[in-house]
Amino acid sequence: MSETHGDGDGTGASGSGADDGGRDIPEPVRRGLARLVDASVIERIGIALASTILALAIGLVIVAAAGYDAVLFIDNMVYGALGTYNVAELFGTQNRIAKTLRPTVTFILTGIAVAVAFRAGVFNIGVQGQFVVGGFAASITIVSIAGTFPSTATGAAIVIVLATLAAIAAGGLYAMLPGILKAYAGANEIITTIMLNFIASGVVFYLIDSFFRPDGTFFVRTDRFPGHVQFPQLFFEEASFSLVGLAIALATAAIVFLIMERTRFGYDLVTSGYQEEAATYSGVDAKRTIVATMTFSGMIAGLAGAVYVVMVLSYYSNPASIPTFGFDAIAVSLLAGNNPLGVIPAGLLFGGLESGGNYVNQSSDVPRQLIDGVIGLVVLFVAAPELFRMAGKRMGLGGEGR
Amino acid sequence: MSGTGTDGDPASGAQTRGDDAVDGAALAVELDGITKRFGDVVANDGVDFRLERGSVHALLGENGSGKTTLMNILYGLYDRDAGTVRVDGQPREFGSPRDAIDARVGMIHQHFQLVEPMTVLQNVILGHEPTERGLVDEDAARADVHDICQRYGFAVDEHLDTPIRELDLGAQQHVEIVKSLYRGAEILILDEPTAVLTPQEVEALFGVMEELTASGRSLIFITHKLEEAMETADEITVLRDGEAVGTVPAGETTREELAQMMVGREVLFEGADRETTIGDPVLTGQDLVVRGDRGLVKVDGVDFEIREGEILGIAGVEGNGQSELAEAIVGLRPVEAGTVVYEGEDVTDASRRQLIRDGVAYIPEDRQQEGLVMDYDLRRNALLGNQTVAPFVERGIVDWDSVGDHAEEIVQQYDVEPHDTSAVAHSLSGGNQQKFVVGREFEHDPRAILAAHPTRGVDIGSIEFIHDRLREMRDEGLAVLLLSSKLEEIQQLSDRIAVMYEGEFVDVVEPADVTERDLGLMMTGSSVGDDAASPDVAAESGGEQP
Repeated sequence: MSETHGDGDGTGASGSGADDGGRDIPEPVRRGLARLVDASVIERIGIALASTILALAIGLVIVAAAGYDAVLFIDNMVYGALGTYNVAELFGTQNRIAKTLRPTVTFILTGIAVAVAFRAGVFNIGVQGQFVVGGFAASITIVSIAGTFPSTATGAAIVIVLATLAAIAAGGLYAMLPGILKAYAGANEIITTIMLNFIASGVVFYLIDSFFRPDGTFFVRTDRFPGHVQFPQLFFEEASFSLVGLAIALATAAIVFLIMERTRFGYDLVTSGYQEEAATYSGVDAKRTIVATMTFSGMIAGLAGAVYVVMVLSYYSNPASIPTFGFDAIAVSLLAGNNPLGVIPAGLLFGGLESGGNYVNQSSDVPRQLIDGVIGLVVLFVAAPELFRMAGKRMGLGGEGR
Repeated sequence: MSGTGTDGDPASGAQTRGDDAVDGAALAVELDGITKRFGDVVANDGVDFRLERGSVHALLGENGSGKTTLMNILYGLYDRDAGTVRVDGQPREFGSPRDAIDARVGMIHQHFQLVEPMTVLQNVILGHEPTERGLVDEDAARADVHDICQRYGFAVDEHLDTPIRELDLGAQQHVEIVKSLYRGAEILILDEPTAVLTPQEVEALFGVMEELTASGRSLIFITHKLEEAMETADEITVLRDGEAVGTVPAGETTREELAQMMVGREVLFEGADRETTIGDPVLTGQDLVVRGDRGLVKVDGVDFEIREGEILGIAGVEGNGQSELAEAIVGLRPVEAGTVVYEGEDVTDASRRQLIRDGVAYIPEDRQQEGLVMDYDLRRNALLGNQTVAPFVERGIVDWDSVGDHAEEIVQQYDVEPHDTSAVAHSLSGGNQQKFVVGREFEHDPRAILAAHPTRGVDIGSIEFIHDRLREMRDEGLAVLLLSSKLEEIQQLSDRIAVMYEGEFVDVVEPADVTERDLGLMMTGSSVGDDAASPDVAAESGGEQP
């Protein structure tokens, strides 16, 4: 209220906050953290690559110790992710790379959804639920209206656009709810969004089971989409991947980046994340910003759901069987430093690990758990430097003049 | 009333105070020639300080006078640049608070260092848990803490299993004190312990302090409130601008003398000799009632009027509602009752953004929390508060080029070091941060300015510049509300001075009619009234109080 420690005494010591935070930490560690905080983008990519290699090396030791062929493991892993060892053949007919790019698209989109919220200091752990709701909204839109439009490319485009809009709206509204609860009732968004994930799955399951389940199907799922309602197959032959999906993901990353960097909305949002009091001082309505942030984040998660169902599923299944992209997206976003552009390489890494892991699983008898363990190691190793970087930043280390 | 601890205390009762060496028991704390610099700013300049065993020694001074810095040095939080520290007669070098705690020195910070979700007991024993075979021996801890509470009359022993966040601030403070005692503190530093307390809680705290000294503990009580120092302390040392002005026995001093020591010499008034005519009211408030962060009424029925071409200064000891008043006017804090009118329009419930658009600039009290985003460079900071102002933002799109140019102008014109808009805000010294904020707000093209401590931590040359700029803007017909804890500043700049005490305006006076000493007295609640200049009246009202 009155005299704060460093500043109130008129000393204005810059970094007085750092004194408290980092006081008990040994000097070499402090210096190391400060170095990490100051690392350039290229250095950080280098660190991530080195971390991946180191983690794979340790993983291979474990694989070998468990009695499996480590060389075959890494061979399958790389082949599964890239499809070839020859970069020139990367986009060859085998299209293994498409199997990597397919999950990458969803990782990027859900990763951006998480990043938007985290940048604003709002912890939307409910991207999975918004992703499910969005995918469901897109699916029922398609199965409901596809018949009223001609079965042409134009008709498909109209249907897909409408379905995508429905998904964006559904995801946005579903995220707006915890936003309102946080802003106006003080409910912790981490808890409400986690709970809403379960509610999303349960309600969507019920709705499909009660209203959208075709007669005679054994599983709980919607009708399949008409064959023409899909993204055009460009260049790749892989049925459940399309460059259109990838283009949507990349464009979303670019647009969200521009919104954050070049618009008042973005400035207000990011400033709220950095320093809420300063944002309030500058005229930002903190409550409205929380609601807007959550809604924006949920809209992107809904978009991710639409792209996923159109490109990959072509129907909507029991939500319990939908992969947990929304949770992995948290790791993707953290790895990317919550930067929408950084989400692209981070999503690619996750896509590669996913596809490589699947291939190892199919082509050898290494148990799935061991594969996931090795993948987990890679994620941990790549994320750890970024986590330390964030910790260092929080302690006020790094930067000029210190 | 003063010297409550003195009577029952053999150590400090009889002997004369001062610099004489004490026979018998060594002094609890002896600081000699303590000097501490932060960059160019000297926060403590050769300060001597002696704390006698079993007594309360108040450290009195305005904000920024170096009280907390001095105590942070004693507590091992800062390294000193010169001087010696003796505790119980032994020279000491505290590298960290841990060393200080080992030497039985404890500090109760203004902002409590408690873990909110954990219980009282857990907080008290945190870091010093009694263990039995590696496990926390909670029964032993409970018995010990219970003992301490019993001995000193703390009521917290009924709440040992209550999470901290469920206690009110007064009780939390007791927990802090119990924590220090549990760690064996014999010397306790209380940093502005009353700042966050209600009057009832303050009374309870004073009771606790009495108990503590009665049991032989020695207390240092940091405050900027005269009465509190006189009520609780045995001796009072006054700090001003980092120097110890003097030490006086609380029983032998007057509010008057203390006010004079705190505020310093009388100064020449420069503000009075101007010719500009004062115009129509720009910003007026009626019967304003505003609540503070804790829900207490901090502004209680204030009326004010600021006219074109006028600076209204608000003097007051910090925490008497000035900040809340300013925040309410600029739209950052809800107005509980009353109205604010700006240029003929009711803006009582207008948002900050609305008022920014209408031309109400605000230099915030806390530049590091509010005025700047510390992780942003100066260019990005130049947009803060300008998000709705063309040409920086048009139709929602930020024009970073014009923002960059604006940042460049501020840096040049207000001499912000470094002259580099890509410098990150936290890398700047406090004074330069302040200059940047002031420049940004002044260049908003405002119609009214609320400036809270606009020159805090700024070097002399820049103070001059900011003052000149404020006068210039006033002469251009702006309405200015100036909050400052520096009385000289208020007197030099203001056309009228409102003195605020406990949420109300004690009086509104012309700077020429009052001395700083009068103001100092009024700031502590004594109404000097029409005979402001008469020392007799001032002395009388000062004399009545203790």
